[in-house]
Amino acid sequence: MNYKIADTVFSLGDPGRYCRSLLAGYRTDLPEEFEISVTASDILSERQRSEEPISEGYAESLAVLRKLSDRLLTRDTILFHGSAVALDGQAYIFAAPSGTGKSTHARLWREKFGDRVVMINDDKPFVRVGGRCTVYGSPWDGKHRLSTNASFPLRAVCFLERAERNSIAPLSPSEAIHWFLSQAYREEAVASIFPLILKITDVIPSFLLKCNTDPGAVDVAWSALSDSGPVGGEKC
Amino acid sequence: MKLSSSFITHNYKDEQLMVAVGSKAKDFHGIVRSNPTAAFIIDLLKTETTLDGIVGAMTEEYDVDEATARRDALAVIEKLRSIGAIEQ
Repeated sequence: MNYKIADTVFSLGDPGRYCRSLLAGYRTDLPEEFEISVTASDILSERQRSEEPISEGYAESLAVLRKLSDRLLTRDTILFHGSAVALDGQAYIFAAPSGTGKSTHARLWREKFGDRVVMINDDKPFVRVGGRCTVYGSPWDGKHRLSTNASFPLRAVCFLERAERNSIAPLSPSEAIHWFLSQAYREEAVASIFPLILKITDVIPSFLLKCNTDPGAVDVAWSALSDSGPVGGEKC
Repeated sequence: MKLSSSFITHNYKDEQLMVAVGSKAKDFHGIVRSNPTAAFIIDLLKTETTLDGIVGAMTEEYDVDEATARRDALAVIEKLRSIGAIEQ
């Protein structure tokens, strides 16, 4: 059974029911570029890593994600911990540690801009890094299960911090590097991710958004993001 | 002496950049941007070495006298030590 995620076609040998259902929207008849196989030991390892008890099916899906993201690293594609939205066809990522409010902020964007917004992935989008960066939907999309099987050019990244009053400021490339590193989803892969982070901070503007959960947070964010230069991001 | 494994480097656009990762990142938030000479020394420190070893490599690689090389190497090593990047 073949699947296409982040412009990459892979086959999955005999996935369990949960995995098949999770990945159903990404089925393809295109020929695979490589195979992912998950062993009992991989599943056990995911269950051991998890803070809460998880089912075998869910553990299998996490193992698939881990192996896929390893492969995608070799294709300059990183797994980002954030909520990715597209507004008028351009992607913005809201990144923060769990519980900070990135999903909430993305929801406020949907409420304000309605149909102009596409939820690319609410939890862990893939981002291919290059002169232009592309954000991809995937089925690993958070507890609200929000994602779209589509890709959009990345225009800007916003790191979120909770605050009483809303404000946004651009991050220098040096500051952005540290924010990106702290969001690197896989600490053990940091050495491979570092070159990609240097590239992405070079071509894509980053901002620090301090925000509350009021709809006004979107206006503050948009005031800076809408001025953040042409999509594709080659900075002047 | 050796570069701490918590510090990783990458060459990007004619500079070598170095950051701390993992638990060391809590102590050092900066980015070390190194010119070619400092990068040369940092690269030597990725394997276990001594000051004399570094000075010897520098005098071979560059047109520099030993005293200058030693002074420059010490300055770089002290800077690295001050950010926790050297493990003995």
